[in-house]
Amino acid sequence: MRDRSRSRMSQTQAAAILLAPFLITYTLFLIYPFFRGVWISLHDWNLLAVAFNPDATEFVGFRNYERVMWGRNIEWGLFAAPFWQITGLIGLALSVILRRVDRLSRFNAIALGLASLLLVFLPGFHPGEGGRWYDRRFWPTVGNTLVFVGLAVPGVTISALVLAAAMNRETRAMGALRTLFFLSQVLSVTVVTLIWQIMFSPRQGLIANITETFGGTPINWLTDQQFAMAAIVIATIWWSLGIAMILFLAGLQDISQDIYEAAALDNARGVRAFWYVTLPNLKRTITLVVILQIILHFQVFGQSHLMTQGGPNDTTQVLVRYIYQTGFRDSELGRASAMAVFLFVIMGTFSVIQFIVGREKS
Amino acid sequence: MSGVRMEEVVKRYGDVQVIHGIDLEIADGEFCVFVGPSGCGKSTLLRMVAGLEDTTEGAMHIGGREVTRLDPAERGVAMVFQTYALYPHMTVRENMTFGLRMNGHPKSEIAEKVAEATRILKLEDYLDRKPAALSGGQRQRVSIGRAIVRGPEVFLFDEPLSNLDAELRVEMRVEIARLHKDIGATMIYVTHDQVEAMTLADKIVVLRAGRIEQVGAPLDLYRDPDNRFVAGFIGSPAMNFVTGVVQDGAVDVPALGGTVSPQVELPAEGTEVIIGLRPEHAKIDPNGTTLTVEITEALGGISYAYLTSSAGEKLIIEERGEISSALGDTVSRTFEPHHLYVFDKDSETRIR
Repeated sequence: MRDRSRSRMSQTQAAAILLAPFLITYTLFLIYPFFRGVWISLHDWNLLAVAFNPDATEFVGFRNYERVMWGRNIEWGLFAAPFWQITGLIGLALSVILRRVDRLSRFNAIALGLASLLLVFLPGFHPGEGGRWYDRRFWPTVGNTLVFVGLAVPGVTISALVLAAAMNRETRAMGALRTLFFLSQVLSVTVVTLIWQIMFSPRQGLIANITETFGGTPINWLTDQQFAMAAIVIATIWWSLGIAMILFLAGLQDISQDIYEAAALDNARGVRAFWYVTLPNLKRTITLVVILQIILHFQVFGQSHLMTQGGPNDTTQVLVRYIYQTGFRDSELGRASAMAVFLFVIMGTFSVIQFIVGREKS
Repeated sequence: MSGVRMEEVVKRYGDVQVIHGIDLEIADGEFCVFVGPSGCGKSTLLRMVAGLEDTTEGAMHIGGREVTRLDPAERGVAMVFQTYALYPHMTVRENMTFGLRMNGHPKSEIAEKVAEATRILKLEDYLDRKPAALSGGQRQRVSIGRAIVRGPEVFLFDEPLSNLDAELRVEMRVEIARLHKDIGATMIYVTHDQVEAMTLADKIVVLRAGRIEQVGAPLDLYRDPDNRFVAGFIGSPAMNFVTGVVQDGAVDVPALGGTVSPQVELPAEGTEVIIGLRPEHAKIDPNGTTLTVEITEALGGISYAYLTSSAGEKLIIEERGEISSALGDTVSRTFEPHHLYVFDKDSETRIR
């Protein structure tokens, strides 16, 4: 009896001791800074002033959030941004109709419905007569970030999927190619952006050379408002292809070869086998890759900061870069923290979705 | 007319030849079983009929049509896999109709064929389930259903019962036999289980190392094997083999305790031969002294005795009922001389 209780005690103690390093590090470097960040976002907090006088902060409640996201005379209208709002209405109708005829699972219907609702609701806000946004750059920056995510995520997913399907063979050449494609992943963002700045260069760049060979005029990718975002997206796809490709390869290995043989007998080979057998069996992997990429690419900073410096004319200004500038160039740490909390909410939402989808079986 | 004909069929992987020029004719409506030990090429040969493996040399005909270079889908064959190979993301109904949908058959025809196959295999209650929600036996039924729906000229079975437990295996075996009777299509069936081979086949093809050892009806192979390999492979427990020497018009077999006189044309005096005797054709004589009982196994209806001769040669004897001899007893055996098989020691071919 005594022995038993002693060993149980020591088990709890052992657990505490073994968990302590993680818990302490986690608390110190993640939980505390997070709450500290929320705390700062509720203050008027100038980085320089606080550096000289630690008491130079003032509690302002949610005024930083208002300063960043709101404006004077903001009104809501159903047709303030007709394209997005009508798209949202169509999505809302689709989610209801498809759910009625049972072509959509309940989870998907709710997800589509919610997304559509946000699409109807959010773009409807606009400054009324004589009004203006307090921060004119914030919402366009959010928009740029969304465009970036909207282009990079499908770009990475589709190209990684195609590459994985093409390289899912056990030959030495394919092994070498897999390594080669994964290699870009291990490069740091500075190297990646340097490579692509040279690639995109209108004078000596590879792309410009190819364009000229075919008689075209080279595009000035990084300084042209139409192409700057595309250039950043292309560099990002090249950079972050590796992980997605590895995940897809793992998913492909899980599909039994027998099924392809059965499909060959059923007259489904090549593209048809890919469409009818491979894709449906990769559904979970695709969902995982998409959500991981969304979370990753919302945090884009380096590509925009190093390749275009947010330009031209703010067309590649993204959220993290704006937070960085507000906090460390303009020293407005309170406002920067408010934006960071906003970004946290977006990424937290997608994390929760990923968690739910990951748990959902079949 | 939907038989299968192979002419000098060869399969090579690089320098390694796995099928060595096979000639075989399978008649329309025949149930043909390929048997042989692991690695004998039986599955490869079946997959060559299906078109899942290329035929390196020779020609393959199905229903009088040469199919050697055709795609699997163009050969008019359907295959049932050991692992079932059902599409995990599709329901039973979708699994069964996939092939027809891929070939653009009209909906009414597909529905009709599914109803037919469902009736034959009693799958009505499972049509809207996914494979993951089915038991092994049900999955294999669906897999057979998928084959039936396609209405092929030739059914191919690649060890279809190997993943099932013993009880289900017997059940499905009977079901496949019934299916063949109902449909009457040509079927090729690969197995290493000789009970399946003996009970299902009209014709058994015994393969070893990519070559045909013997082709024939199950009982013909049992009664009249061409060589030691077939004699040892067909029948369970396997035939006993002991060595002997031809002497004075008979064979001296130490393990059997003296000279025996098989009813065959014996080779020259002094030649070494192999004598085969099936366990079920011998009886224990408790008064003998030539053999020692090592182990006895009582299965209820029948029993096996594992015996060793003084020279270390082993024999198995099967008896009805129980064996009275105990471990370590010295015994002898009795048998009818016409039950003895004689094989050449070097070539292992049968001496008749």
